[in-house]
Amino acid sequence: MNLTWTPQERRFQEEVRAFAEAKLPQDIRDKVLRHQRLERDDYVRWHNILADQGWGAPNWPVEHGGTGWNAMQRLIFEVECFKAGAPRLLPFGLSMIGPVLMKYGSPELQARFLPRIPRVEDWWCQGYSEPGSGSDLASLKTRAERDGDGYVVNGQKTWTTLAQYADWMFCLARTDPEARAQRGISMLLLDMRAPGVTVRPIRTLDGGHDVNEVWLENVRVPAANLVGEENQGWTYAKYLLGHERTGIAGLGHCHRELGILKRMAENARSRGRPLLSDSRMRDRISRIEVDIMALEMLLLRVAASNDGAPGPEASVLKIRGSEIQQDLAMLQMEVAGPDAWPYDPDWMFAEAGWHGPGPEMAAAAGAGYADMRKTSIYGGTTEVQKGIIARQVLGL
Amino acid sequence: MDFIYTEEQRMLADSLRRLVDQAWTFPQRRARQAAGVLDRQAWSALAELGVLGLNISQDFGGFGEVPASLLPVHLELGRGLVSEPVIPSAVMGAALLDACGGAARARWLPPVAAGEAIVSVAYQEPGRRYDTDPQDCLATETAGGWRLDGAKHLVWHGAAASVWLVSARGADGRALLLAVPADAAGVRVTDTPTLDGARCARLDFDGAVLPSDALLAQGEEAERALAQALQWGSAALCAHAAGAMERLLEITVDYLKTRKQFGQPLASFQALQHRLAEMLVAKELALSMAYVAVAALTEPDLAQRRRMIASAKLEAARAGRLVAQMAVQLHGGMGMTDELEVGDYFKRLTVVDPLLGDIAEQLAVLEELA
Repeated sequence: MNLTWTPQERRFQEEVRAFAEAKLPQDIRDKVLRHQRLERDDYVRWHNILADQGWGAPNWPVEHGGTGWNAMQRLIFEVECFKAGAPRLLPFGLSMIGPVLMKYGSPELQARFLPRIPRVEDWWCQGYSEPGSGSDLASLKTRAERDGDGYVVNGQKTWTTLAQYADWMFCLARTDPEARAQRGISMLLLDMRAPGVTVRPIRTLDGGHDVNEVWLENVRVPAANLVGEENQGWTYAKYLLGHERTGIAGLGHCHRELGILKRMAENARSRGRPLLSDSRMRDRISRIEVDIMALEMLLLRVAASNDGAPGPEASVLKIRGSEIQQDLAMLQMEVAGPDAWPYDPDWMFAEAGWHGPGPEMAAAAGAGYADMRKTSIYGGTTEVQKGIIARQVLGL
Repeated sequence: MDFIYTEEQRMLADSLRRLVDQAWTFPQRRARQAAGVLDRQAWSALAELGVLGLNISQDFGGFGEVPASLLPVHLELGRGLVSEPVIPSAVMGAALLDACGGAARARWLPPVAAGEAIVSVAYQEPGRRYDTDPQDCLATETAGGWRLDGAKHLVWHGAAASVWLVSARGADGRALLLAVPADAAGVRVTDTPTLDGARCARLDFDGAVLPSDALLAQGEEAERALAQALQWGSAALCAHAAGAMERLLEITVDYLKTRKQFGQPLASFQALQHRLAEMLVAKELALSMAYVAVAALTEPDLAQRRRMIASAKLEAARAGRLVAQMAVQLHGGMGMTDELEVGDYFKRLTVVDPLLGDIAEQLAVLEELA
């Protein structure tokens, strides 16, 4: 056992830090660190800057154009980028459909789609959840019927993150209506510009628009866009969900938000003194720093074992990571204090030029607190994660 | 002690529930919120039921009800997420004016009771968090009256008010309270929406000119009147929060009975039943503390009164946050959308903490009194 960073790991950390410092555009950094809304172009620019450096696919093997980094390097990279104020990497291509295509996709699908992911030449979205199928994903009802050389897809997807920008959707649909729940589901790659696709925004608690409903009416999908085999989609979906869950600990997010919290508490005055030196607040910030330290070591332990391949332990990370992200948002709101009360969703855009009547981060704090409630819901609710721990880890 | 509503209290609560069910439906609330200005018809309906003159003396056109009547009334208003300026005007404003005595009562309380005037207490200053002592807002006596300079912010429904009750510091350093009509010269109003679908305003006074009778109180009398307003406001807010928790729990129970996953209603999962049970426990404690807050209004020992109000306000914020978080969690993705009323209850219960002094502020009061 060696519980210190190796010199190589330290050097890598410094390399990433220096790179982000030098190459992350200031306007994007400002938006992220000021909690303003990011646009499509902000993500695409950052992905291209990474690709220019050869870091466009940090979690992919070299043979598919990735960096070939191990889990520890990937973690260092994520945390340093987040701390610098970089946008999160879009997970839909890199962490979701990319790895599925590498494992189960035909050489044709791999050749067609994988090279276009790192520079976001195709923006992907995830067609999983449906209005009646959230936690119980296997009950999904979208149908894909064979018709000549393709499928005709009908159904409705929901919670489709950033579908308003998407070129393609990886879509779960029922291809065998007779088969029981998990069987009879296939994964199709669906062109979001095909006739019959309608995207409708879902406004969330903070007045933002990140998620959508997607209606699929007689959408034609060529048979060549079937991933793997027909009726095996559930296997691929589960593989993909496992990938989704490791990043969901949100360690980079936690580090970044802790920094923002401390800056806010330093600038806020309570009876003439910085709030940061108020013992009531100081204790709570110390507590959350302990929480983050524990989460980090937990994540490192998982990353070091099995090269970070997600097992049921990922559920522990998901539960704790969501709680800490929520607590950080709550503390930011408390630091903003009375100034967190006024709020207009329009203030969240950098272009608006006005962030409301209070200090800069204040208005976003209440909205951010509301928005962070999603972390214990998406990607499998905390209740679902506890069920996984009970069954798969404890063997109950 | 007697926890049974009097006949009048029961009738008032019943008619209020009927009114709110009929005129504060989810779409109606959203429409008013989008309009951003006071719905005069809705406001009149509250005045007609006696909500606005509830505790104002009969001598000044009110109903002269005992402070305990705040509880049934504001429970119902909280259940219906009524966002109109009842607390800032009819509760806080009326309490402040009543404590000031003199001519101000006769002049302002009758129109407040009738809903013809809306008042709002402007006591917070930018950059001073929850501090309630006037600092940078300065009142200078002039030949004909008063001149006011400085800023107040987070004035609850400030733009809807016809009169602001403004705390300021006089030339001698003492606090004073001034009635500032909304049409006074030298005042700039910045009206903004709030996270919970209400409105608040920032008032910038730049040599605002006021007549000599604008003075409501000064020195200790002004401090007492402001404290009275904040205590009454806190008590009403505690009841409002308890009502909102009660209704939100009902909404969540209904949702879990109808929403099915894994072939059965969500309500049949024990893990979720336990969460609902925890919400109920929190709601019952918050309701109990709302009783404490209302009881405090007739507590003669001033230190004990402050202790009771601070404790109740702390509990309303804590329980409200917990119930709101759980309600969203139990609604899953639907709870995150702006399309269900659960989100509106969540936001109202979230701002209970920063309104009228947050948990840390209440703990500081309790520390001081320990």
